[in-house]
Amino acid sequence: MMNVKRSGILLIEDNRNDETLTCRVLRANHMTDITVKRDGSEALDYLFAQGAFEGRDVMDQPVVVLLDLNLPKIGGLEVLQEIRADHRTALLAVVIMTSSQEEADMLGSYENGANSYVIKPVEFKEFSEHVKQLGLYWMLTNKAPGQVTP
Amino acid sequence: MLLPPGHEGDVDEMLNRIIHGVRVEHHDAVRRSSTGENLDVSISMSPILDQHGNLVGASKVVRDITERKRAEVALAEARDAAEASSHAFEAFSYSVAHDLRAPLRAIDGFSQALRDEFAQVLDETGLDYLERVCGSAQQMAGLIDGLLSLARVTHREFTSTNVDLSMLVTSVADRLRNQSPERVVQVIVHPGLSAPGDETLLANALENLLSNAWKFTRDQPQARIEFGSDKDGYFVRDNGAGFNTAFSAKLFGVFQRLHTAEEFEGTGIGLATVQRIIRRHGGQIWAESTVGNGATFHFTLSERS
Repeated sequence: MMNVKRSGILLIEDNRNDETLTCRVLRANHMTDITVKRDGSEALDYLFAQGAFEGRDVMDQPVVVLLDLNLPKIGGLEVLQEIRADHRTALLAVVIMTSSQEEADMLGSYENGANSYVIKPVEFKEFSEHVKQLGLYWMLTNKAPGQVTP
Repeated sequence: MLLPPGHEGDVDEMLNRIIHGVRVEHHDAVRRSSTGENLDVSISMSPILDQHGNLVGASKVVRDITERKRAEVALAEARDAAEASSHAFEAFSYSVAHDLRAPLRAIDGFSQALRDEFAQVLDETGLDYLERVCGSAQQMAGLIDGLLSLARVTHREFTSTNVDLSMLVTSVADRLRNQSPERVVQVIVHPGLSAPGDETLLANALENLLSNAWKFTRDQPQARIEFGSDKDGYFVRDNGAGFNTAFSAKLFGVFQRLHTAEEFEGTGIGLATVQRIIRRHGGQIWAESTVGNGATFHFTLSERS
């Protein structure tokens, strides 16, 4: 764990509109180091430096992962399970960001070790307030082991 | 009445009981009729004793319960079908909730982005159009939420407990106060009112009734909302805008509204939801009002009143 360097945000989101809106809010609040992956399989390859991302330093990790549940190929819950199961990523902060208000999804997320569960509000004003708050909290207020201070 | 092959054992067992002076009550068995048809029957047997307590005979009643059995099978099938449709509904509402919400967020979000970044190249008309786009997206979000909640009310499993209605009303009133602290509203809750019912459903119904009262007393400088019970059952009374009782038949219909969106905003789903909840409790709901003099919603939670 000692050699992990944490910086930036990993956004795992397949909806291009939500991606653009989320990034727009984060950037407006000076969080510009954002990596986007658009399905669960690509996200896991990226995190574990495998497949298309072979050669990437696996110790370079995000400070926080914003994870959508409804993802193509490999769903959000499975991504979360993989992250928790691997000792290299087990301590990653994972925030579930979803439209789902279903109790089952919420329970499943926490049972698999999500650090937070956020329902994306329909109203953009509310949505941007949520994204801003959680971005600032995980990037500035909260401290993670190996976090690089900007 | 004949004994079909393979059913000899239960006769021995019944006779054995009778010999020991024990009655047989409603023993479900299969017997063959004179036409050779197997029938589902219910057999009751009692020993007949003389004055000294000696067994001298037995009385036996065999009741044809084929119809009842058939009804039981039909009931089980209907239950399975209902369960399947309920699961299909769950899947449907799940996808409605997710898939309809995402594009709405995009409509609202990108309109907002346009306003933020391109306000200088838009004139007043352009900004007004954007406003309408956002307003409509929000209205549609409200409709989706309302329809989902209406559908859930019908499909939700019913769990009966003793529900503290006074407490539910008080907590709804507290929440409404927090949402609009600028409003001065006197809320009177008769204490200690409780009834058997499904707590989640009743909370939903009371939330709708109270929110309505809250909304329609908006222009009343001395707004007053009361929850209590009388000889007709329970009531929620307000001194707000009221409505014309000529249209009261429409009051509980889905998407039916008695006020224009300019007068009072709303989706026309709230009271339809309330009515379904009350009916699931076996009760009734009706309303009294005169325009400008408030409204009273009466409801019962069982057929007693």
